[in-house]
Amino acid sequence: MADGPLIVQSDKTLLLEVDHEKADACRKAIAPFAELERAPEHVHTYRITPLALWNARAAGHDAEQVIDALIGFSRYPVPHALLVDIAETMARYGRLRLEKHPLHGLVLTSTDRAVLEEVLRSKKIQPLLGERVGDDGVGVHPSERGNIKQLLLKLGWPAEDLAGYVDGEHHPITLAEDGWELRSYQREAAEAFWHGGSGVVVLPCGAGKTIVGAAAMAHARATTLILVTNTVSAHQWKQELLRRTSLTEDEIGEYTGTKKEIRPVTIATYQVMTTRRQGVYRHLELFDARDWGLIIYDEVHLLPAPIFRMTADLQARRRVGLTATLVREDGREGDVFSLIGPKRYDAPWKEMENQGWIAPADCVEVRVTLSDEERLAYAMAEAEERYRFCATTPSKTRVTEALVRRHPDEQVLIIGQYIDQLDELGEHLDAPVIKGETKVKERERLFQAFRDKEIRVLVVSKVANFSIDLPEASVAVQVSGTFGSRQEEAQRLGRVLRPKSGGGGARFYSVVSRDTVDQEFAAHRQRFLAEQGYAYQIIDADDVLAGD
Amino acid sequence: MSTDFAEWLRGRSDEQLRELVALRPELITPVPAHVEGLAGRASSPSAVGRVLDRLDRFTFAVMETVAVLPSPIACAPLRDQVARALPEPPGPADSLFEARFRETLDRLRALALVYGPDEALAPAPGVREVLDAPAGLGPPAAEVFRHHHRERLAELIEDLGGAGDSKEELAALLACRETLERLLEEVSPQARSALDELAWGPAGGRVPNARREVRAATAQSPIEQLLARALLGATGEESVVLPREVGLFLRGGRIHRDLSPVPPPLGGVERDRALADRTAAGQAFMFTRAVEELCERWSIDPPGVLRGGGLAVRDLKRAATLLDLPEWVAGLIVEVAHAAGLVAASGAVDGEWLPTPVYDAWKVRPAEERWVALATTWLTMDRVPGMIGERDERDRLRSALHSDLRHPAAPEVRTTTLGLLAAAAEAAPGTAGSGEPRVTGGARGARGAQGRGVRKPAGAATVLAPTPEAIRERLAWEQPRRRGAHRDRLMEFTLREAEQIGITGLGALSGHGRALLPAVPGGEGGGRTAPAAELLAPLLPEPLDHVLLQADLTAVAPGPLTGELSRWLALAADVESTGGATVYRFCEGSIRRALDAGQGADEMLAMLERHSKTPVPQPLGYLVTDVARRHGRMRIGTASAYVRCDDPSVLDEVMADRRATPLRLRRLAPTVIASKTSRATLVDALRAMGYAPVAESLDGDVIITQLDVRRTEGPPQPRVPVVFTGPDTDVIAAAVRAVRAGDAAHQARRRPVDAPAGQVPRSPATATISALRDAIRQGSQVWIGYLDSQGNATSRILEPARMEGGYLTAYDETRAAVHRFALHRITGVSEIQA
Repeated sequence: MADGPLIVQSDKTLLLEVDHEKADACRKAIAPFAELERAPEHVHTYRITPLALWNARAAGHDAEQVIDALIGFSRYPVPHALLVDIAETMARYGRLRLEKHPLHGLVLTSTDRAVLEEVLRSKKIQPLLGERVGDDGVGVHPSERGNIKQLLLKLGWPAEDLAGYVDGEHHPITLAEDGWELRSYQREAAEAFWHGGSGVVVLPCGAGKTIVGAAAMAHARATTLILVTNTVSAHQWKQELLRRTSLTEDEIGEYTGTKKEIRPVTIATYQVMTTRRQGVYRHLELFDARDWGLIIYDEVHLLPAPIFRMTADLQARRRVGLTATLVREDGREGDVFSLIGPKRYDAPWKEMENQGWIAPADCVEVRVTLSDEERLAYAMAEAEERYRFCATTPSKTRVTEALVRRHPDEQVLIIGQYIDQLDELGEHLDAPVIKGETKVKERERLFQAFRDKEIRVLVVSKVANFSIDLPEASVAVQVSGTFGSRQEEAQRLGRVLRPKSGGGGARFYSVVSRDTVDQEFAAHRQRFLAEQGYAYQIIDADDVLAGD
Repeated sequence: MSTDFAEWLRGRSDEQLRELVALRPELITPVPAHVEGLAGRASSPSAVGRVLDRLDRFTFAVMETVAVLPSPIACAPLRDQVARALPEPPGPADSLFEARFRETLDRLRALALVYGPDEALAPAPGVREVLDAPAGLGPPAAEVFRHHHRERLAELIEDLGGAGDSKEELAALLACRETLERLLEEVSPQARSALDELAWGPAGGRVPNARREVRAATAQSPIEQLLARALLGATGEESVVLPREVGLFLRGGRIHRDLSPVPPPLGGVERDRALADRTAAGQAFMFTRAVEELCERWSIDPPGVLRGGGLAVRDLKRAATLLDLPEWVAGLIVEVAHAAGLVAASGAVDGEWLPTPVYDAWKVRPAEERWVALATTWLTMDRVPGMIGERDERDRLRSALHSDLRHPAAPEVRTTTLGLLAAAAEAAPGTAGSGEPRVTGGARGARGAQGRGVRKPAGAATVLAPTPEAIRERLAWEQPRRRGAHRDRLMEFTLREAEQIGITGLGALSGHGRALLPAVPGGEGGGRTAPAAELLAPLLPEPLDHVLLQADLTAVAPGPLTGELSRWLALAADVESTGGATVYRFCEGSIRRALDAGQGADEMLAMLERHSKTPVPQPLGYLVTDVARRHGRMRIGTASAYVRCDDPSVLDEVMADRRATPLRLRRLAPTVIASKTSRATLVDALRAMGYAPVAESLDGDVIITQLDVRRTEGPPQPRVPVVFTGPDTDVIAAAVRAVRAGDAAHQARRRPVDAPAGQVPRSPATATISALRDAIRQGSQVWIGYLDSQGNATSRILEPARMEGGYLTAYDETRAAVHRFALHRITGVSEIQA
């Protein structure tokens, strides 16, 4: 009996035993066509999905390689039906192609006429198509390039987009590698994106996604539109680009609620782009304002629906999506695949940690026992108020204070959902609070003070969930969250994952009320990180208070 | 009975007769009294049919040729006739064809299907009758036109340019080449193409009003042109047939086409033998496990037996979801488990499908033996799981485990199909030098990709995995009489099911699968006869006694687990994914389930520690203790009434009273007693004991008792009488139309003759059969006594046409129609006095 590291399950999951001597080789072999689903300490789970197989095809792998990898590394015989299914699924990709025709413009062609006919019969596809071009092709309205790709994916016949990209307005951008250099994975990620044309790069928080974006710009050497989540993040992008590239202050424009600059490199927020006045998206013209050569979507897992619709019209431009967690609670990963592009690069969190690119982190769940009065009040609370009640219970405040006292010499972030709770904590801990109503200037002043260690403890609401670069924060305490959001948990951990100047580790506390819905949500929130290999340790609040 | 045949048989040597009965064992069960008896049995339709079924296409074609050509025929013209059917006619010196032809002829003689010396060969009696339409040819003209009356025959012969009024004269005309050439010249191109359609069979077709009597001069449509020239003959009100003479002419004197003296090659993909065996073993393991999983689930949550027998579609779907398999595989598992006696229906009414004690015995046997039990069951069962979900002829859904879900040919098709795979496996070259698997025949598409995907170590033994198309073609060649859409489907079911069960792997027969089959004549004898279980055992994974526990609350069993551990995990965790390994997930619900089953927290932690290869993750330990902490804090029980009283001393008194014993009281709290009796009984009993209790409602209000005044549910519904209005007007109209049409056809034809007066004939059964057979051969009429379906003795004048399957098909002169008569109801036969 062969002793491979891989076990192929009948539900198309692959179990990889990490301690096996061939595990590394196997990981490399299966990574192109299987999604890493869970990466706990001993056995990693990959899943073969149609999307992953098509991703592999798009990246130039064929069914033979996939089957060879499975058979070669599998410990047990691989079910024949699964192999047949893989071959059939992969054969579906590329039967249809979007190409540029010298006479007819954008054309959908096929090597398999039956497939083309099947697709043409679809009621949803018909309105997007123009005239027949020969027997094996049909014209496509250029504006429908994105929509048709989305629909074809839903029909199970993903089209290979060979129609190419417009180069956009040329603009010289180079990386200014003075005193720092591009890390190997950042270079690989940028190159993988550039060769693929468009796509998504998945890197853990703190692994320097901004720099990947900058490297992509250096490849494109063209005017670039960058879409980010909020104004603070826009400022950070600007600072980072000034530091890492040849771009100067004048070349970078901000397009936010307050400033409306359009420059060769323009950074806009999703919020501005999706603002409507009288039912009209007023800032859409930004997409046409210049002949953009590259569009960068920061935190692509948060891409709002209107941006998806707009992106459908931008298929001729190169697009790169950046994210740490390509999990969408709304299940729109398929739209990301067809509109932004396939996943081009992916690195597991723990691997990054092992290589020292992100700080090692301990995750601790602190279980708070409610007092008898609190329990009674909880039992009587209205169903929709229950989570709020147990997430903001006064017992949590005491525990949080104790946790802050535990780390007297470290920079501590306290993150929560409910403003009352945060205000109260700020008062008790004598720490400033950043929330939605805090002015951008004030926010930046506080963040800078925190970076400069003038402030030791900072209380933040969900406005600081993403993209806030706080390298020195080494302890984060989460007191409440957006129900069971997995990516929020991961993003919040990401706030403390920047490598520390002292080389130390980070600590992430999640304070949870025992025997309430808070505990259930917490379990769900932790799924993503637990599957990335972050083992939560559970301790009792009483132990924290006693050790005080 | 033909005495020639009996004489010929008598002249065979003892050895030849031994060979005959060895090949046709049914001839001697029971042993006939004399050679005539043997001859009689050998020429009976059922015996002839059975032996014809076993002929391959070439042998069968030779047999058909003998039957079509006029007997007796010499060897040389027979050979020439057969040779003409080959795509490339062999020269006189073609030794392969010559040898095959001789061999085939000897075999037919050995089987007593053809008899006589080389100069005068003849088909055995009964063969022509069984070969209803040899080579797809219609009946001879003399038979087609036998029921046409003389005036009509005269018309036809006249239109053919001859003279006379008998069917023999008509037949002679049709046998004449020049006549046919001329007739074909006369008809329109449409008529010609209609004939070409029928030329290579089937020779019959359907047209409305087939019996119309048209003349060549007045014929309009193409069909009328053909009918008028006797190129087609009516055999019924709506059916016509191409007379054999015309058919042979259209075939250019050939009886068959594209005949091959050797079987078609088996095309397929060469597979690495070890890999195929391993894949099959993996599948065997999965299959066995799926059966076990199903039985375990049904032990706890059995599905009900449908009123008509069988398993509901919903329950089958549920099983498929449970096993994470397609529905047809779930159906296969259910059927095999049932056929192996592992599950059975309990009780007659409202039964459930439950595992049997046989299952408990099966469960503890080693995996390889468990598999052998299942696989042999599948090979021999006549159930057809592939038909689950289809509709039967009455449009009812075929459900799994239903008693109708069977086909008598299923076991034979399975053995034959797998036998072919076995032959392919042994014929494949043992070692092949090239690194790429050899692709022979028509392997395409995904299979081709598969083939390329399988890298074969240089010099390793390979095994041929034939494609289903190749298998179908080969089976069609080997058993032409047994073909049909149904058998093709059974063959397809066999292939896909064998792959699921693990008898084949990657489409090739595995070593352990081969061991289940009966020995192939001429196959390798030694070394391959080891019992299947012994061959399978080393290929199966060893059961493990450990799992890998992880902080995300999962446990991974990287292989099959030992019985105890797997049962424990099934209790304490939920299965997330199965396959070579099993992934379990612990959650609050699963831990609680284990606690409910009587496990303690410490016990569970100890179990985890004992069987984990790695330290128990802290969150898992925490989960177990946390759930255990809350488990059982609340207690739930049933009581049908309670007593509450603010003064505990009163309740002390009640509890102490001996008269209260039958009330089965239990003190729940100082001021509350629970009771198992009803509220009313409790009130009465306490009153009897001298207390003054009052009844309390659910809300705690005191119930004021008063005498109940009772009412029924509501006024009775008046019954509306059903008025019988008689059958539907449409039905009446249709019935009348049918009667009219039948009557008109009847009037237009001969009037029925009256049955002869006098005693109904009686004769012994054997005499009856042989008299009827003689009548068929001579085309003569007989008088029979017949018990009709009501048991009344009747008598008929018949012109027997065919005898098969216990039925006589004959033209009934007394009814002027063709009827089928059950042989056992014919009381006797006598000749007709002119």
